[in-house]
Amino acid sequence: MKIWSDKEKMSRDEIRKLQFKRLKKTLHHVYENVPYYHEKFKAAGVKPVDIRTLEDLRLLPLTTKEDLRKNYPFGLFAVPKNKIVRYHASSGTTGKPTVVGYTKNDMKVWREVIARIVTMGGVTNEDTAQITFGFGLFTGAFGLQQGLEKVGAGVIPMSAGNTQKQIMIMQDFQSTVLIGTPSYALHLAEAAQEMGIDPKEELFLKYGLFGGEGSTEEMRAKLNEAWGIVATENYGMSELIGPGVSGECLAFKGMHINEDHFIAEIIDPNTLEVLPEGSVGELVITPITKEGLPLIRYRTKDITRLDTTPCDCGRTSVRMAKITGRTDDMLIIGGVNVFPSQIEGVLLGIKGIGSNYQIRVLKKGYLDRIEIDVEVVNQDLLVSVTLLDQLYKEIESKLHTILGIHAGIHLVEPKSLVRSEGKAKRVIDLRSENQ
Amino acid sequence: MLINQLSVFIENKKGHLSKITKVLKDAQVDIRAISIFDSAEFGILRIVVDKPELGAEALKKAGHVVKQSYVLAIDPSDKVGSLHDVFALLSDNDVNIEYVYSFVMPNNQGAPLIILKADDQEKAIALLTASDFSLIPKEAIYNVQKG
Repeated sequence: MKIWSDKEKMSRDEIRKLQFKRLKKTLHHVYENVPYYHEKFKAAGVKPVDIRTLEDLRLLPLTTKEDLRKNYPFGLFAVPKNKIVRYHASSGTTGKPTVVGYTKNDMKVWREVIARIVTMGGVTNEDTAQITFGFGLFTGAFGLQQGLEKVGAGVIPMSAGNTQKQIMIMQDFQSTVLIGTPSYALHLAEAAQEMGIDPKEELFLKYGLFGGEGSTEEMRAKLNEAWGIVATENYGMSELIGPGVSGECLAFKGMHINEDHFIAEIIDPNTLEVLPEGSVGELVITPITKEGLPLIRYRTKDITRLDTTPCDCGRTSVRMAKITGRTDDMLIIGGVNVFPSQIEGVLLGIKGIGSNYQIRVLKKGYLDRIEIDVEVVNQDLLVSVTLLDQLYKEIESKLHTILGIHAGIHLVEPKSLVRSEGKAKRVIDLRSENQ
Repeated sequence: MLINQLSVFIENKKGHLSKITKVLKDAQVDIRAISIFDSAEFGILRIVVDKPELGAEALKKAGHVVKQSYVLAIDPSDKVGSLHDVFALLSDNDVNIEYVYSFVMPNNQGAPLIILKADDQEKAIALLTASDFSLIPKEAIYNVQKG
């Protein structure tokens, strides 16, 4: 199997030397060009010159999504706006998204890391890739598209949804690679069968590259079986670059991190101390080639572990295990990240509903789904069913326009929600139960 | 002339109606008229009872959302076209009917009566009274003579 770049085969020593050099450059860049970081470093009593080894990275303060929110929209950008050639964003509380920006060189890096990842997953210039991520402010679709084109693969930018058309195009264009979330891919396979098309016999797919939400080995087995493909997973987030941080090779021993662009650490989410290699903890990533938005020690809130033992594929880069959980209460619904607090924010902003609601996370077929029970407490709504209907529609449409999620809304009688010790249990994750 | 009606939010789920009737039964409240206006998942139960204040209190105590509002009870007389006459009178005079449902009372020889909610209740009362339609006073509804 082809390895896209020699950078993926450097010795551990060479990787570390390169990382240190690039880290130093990045630290000077943020210290001089991002006032927020300048102050943050000062408050921590550390300057870029104090970082003398790669291990000294742990002396620097961590960055969280909260830092991005405080600096909305461009406060953490390290270049003037005229150097930014692309913006992306993810959903945020009260309608304010987390904004990211790319310089020309950032775009070049992004194409490069995606090219490596799709190559890891088996894609070559002979392939035709169908992208089922939504094209828009989210990074998934555009990220994959650019890297696939760099490899020379043909891209079909289908975007999200429109399931029947997806299958038709997949058959007529003879797509060989499927790109999207694993849950949507399973949904598509079922839809194909319902249309009377056997995905293994009548379609041409060979590989599936999945991301945007976590996945398990059982999920991979289902995907392979349903489509007759080889499924791999890749990882990233918009704050770091989008997809492209890491990806699985065909040895299936974890996701190779593009270490010449990202330094990975594992910390204890409670003590915030760096843990030794092999420990399970929260992944912290420092991009070391970013110009537009270089974040230092960004807390991903994803739980994993790192492994530098040699991989059968020949790559020398460190691998991260599948994400096994989150250190916060973030939900990932159809590839969209959403916090229960964001849903609460939307609900509280709507007149006529109580502060009592319950979010249930379920699997509907293979798709994650949110159901929200909202207690009707305002007697003035009982004038007509139309008023209740309007409330229902308002909740549905606000959740969609503000958070980008579709949720099933149920208006329920007051006090019908389960409460523990007088406090409503607000989020119930039932996905593992009915899988 | 106005009758106190209770509106209760109800989910379209098995057993939810009997939850409400149980509360009224336990409170010794007698139901005179009942109707449900619903969508796929939820509805509004509208009832006229003999002791509206007591019924509303009991339902609220049991955790239900209850709205008290006022409706008209009309005896259109039991003959062909009489209901049409009521609706035509209101419509011709630009009074809009929000909803209507029917019921019977034992002391009325079993003739059908209607509960009606108009957008302009005062005007509806004036029109119906002037046209000799029989509006049933609330006392007659609350204190039914049985037997």
